[in-house]
Amino acid sequence: MVTIAFKDLALTNCAKRGMPLQRISFTPHPVWGKTDDQMYAYLDGNDPVSGKPLMKEVVDSLTRPLMADEMKTGVVTPPTGAPTFVETADNLQQYFLDNGMTDFMPIILPTQERVDAMLKATSHKPDEPVGKMTPAQGAFPPWSYTVQQVAVNAVMAGAIPDYFPTILAIASTGISALFSSTNSLVSAAVINGPVRDKLQMNYGIGAMGPFNQANAVIGRAWTLMSKNLDGGGIAGETYMGSQGNIINYNNLIIPENEKDSPWPPFHVQKGFKPEENIISFFFGFNITQGQGGKGLGVKPIPLYNVAMSANVAPFASLFGALFILDPLVANGLGDLGFKTKEQLADWLQKNTTVTVKDVKSMLFSGLPRGPEAAGLTDDSVIPKWQRADAYNFVVCGGQTNPYHQLANMSYRLSVSIDKWT
Amino acid sequence: MNRRKLLSLLGMSPAVLAGSPLLLADDKKKKEKGAAAAGAFKVTALNPRGLPPPITLVPMAPRLATLDGKTVYLVSDGFPGADAFLNQISIWFKKNMPSVTTVYRLKAGGFADDDPKLFAEIKAKGQAVIMAIGH
Repeated sequence: MVTIAFKDLALTNCAKRGMPLQRISFTPHPVWGKTDDQMYAYLDGNDPVSGKPLMKEVVDSLTRPLMADEMKTGVVTPPTGAPTFVETADNLQQYFLDNGMTDFMPIILPTQERVDAMLKATSHKPDEPVGKMTPAQGAFPPWSYTVQQVAVNAVMAGAIPDYFPTILAIASTGISALFSSTNSLVSAAVINGPVRDKLQMNYGIGAMGPFNQANAVIGRAWTLMSKNLDGGGIAGETYMGSQGNIINYNNLIIPENEKDSPWPPFHVQKGFKPEENIISFFFGFNITQGQGGKGLGVKPIPLYNVAMSANVAPFASLFGALFILDPLVANGLGDLGFKTKEQLADWLQKNTTVTVKDVKSMLFSGLPRGPEAAGLTDDSVIPKWQRADAYNFVVCGGQTNPYHQLANMSYRLSVSIDKWT
Repeated sequence: MNRRKLLSLLGMSPAVLAGSPLLLADDKKKKEKGAAAAGAFKVTALNPRGLPPPITLVPMAPRLATLDGKTVYLVSDGFPGADAFLNQISIWFKKNMPSVTTVYRLKAGGFADDDPKLFAEIKAKGQAVIMAIGH
């Protein structure tokens, strides 16, 4: 049984999993948030697709003898399309757009010449496998791809060859920027090391806005790869985010402002050397500004930590917290006594608390399990997150104002960019 | 350097020249040139798509002759509302097919995680499954 909103997803995904004739009955949508009576009325009513009585259809599906086609075995190779398309430039733009291979903005046409130029920026062979990607692990079978297929997408995004190792590093993780969840999730990548300056990335004024080619294009390449390398980003089929998210256009690409930070850079926190070029990935709900928070009016140094704590308290605990701190804020926190990011994380973990009653009223905010759960009542005060490593910090910005932004996102992993040069 | 760029350097909006006949003539020439190029030449572009895995066809499980007297497992993956909806299905069976026994179970892990223990139980004790999956 599937709710009607997931009709295309259910039908196509059953086919991709070798069950093209799976017997599916549909209910109205949604189920969540409905009363018992409303849900029972769904069951007592008709399947909105077939028009037949729903539960009668379910019982029939479980008892009707199988047809020969429903018992078929064998292996089918799905079509992948021609290796090249030959048309006028205008018609090719239209073809790529009509076939869901773009972000609905014009692309740079991936000619052999441009792709070859991209391939020269890596020592890896064009036919070398890079990784596997899926719009949702476990839900959709992952697709595989080569260095050349990544290069084609990099060209389309407008990348110059110097960006290619970073784009390959993203592709190597298999992380889709367009996770199929209904939650309209977003992705972020933090870039550390000398590569930031080599690519002339912007980690100063306007770093997270449309003011730098590398920041913009590397992020756009991630989105195009998430559509083309894994069959993702098809709304209603492999992408189900109810409202979508504007960040999905080119994601949060955050080169850390290492030189103006009082703390070791993010990749060093994760055990890498300062001179290594590393890209680190985050994933979660969204990003928001953190101004006007409690404690920010305190002089002479605003209590940034108090504001940060107040701002993350309403977050869903399904994901953690990623703070993007302007160097003015990071240095202000240093002046307040936070000599390391770990010290700040520890303070936030201890001081950001919620009541059990509040947690129970929030969606996607689970209560502690195991020994921590013993003896809890509705009035018990518990940490927002059980572990300090749920809090992560990156320094980025141009010091024109002591601002910070915060994302309800969790750290996933860090990988080498150097490996792909 | 064209005038648009020059105006930008001077801190002025190139839009002030929107009505300039000279600029319009420049734009027209560019458009004609572009259109001629786009119409005259064909370009070869490479396919950006990855490789989907081969699909192994899975024969459907044998059907039951009837649900009468059978046990149907109602399995939730923990998505909000799934437990309440499955409870209504259980009530529907009680009202409409009372000989059917329903058993509710919450699957371990996330929506895509296997739960071998649960599925072994269903194979041993049940005859059919209705599963509610959300993610």
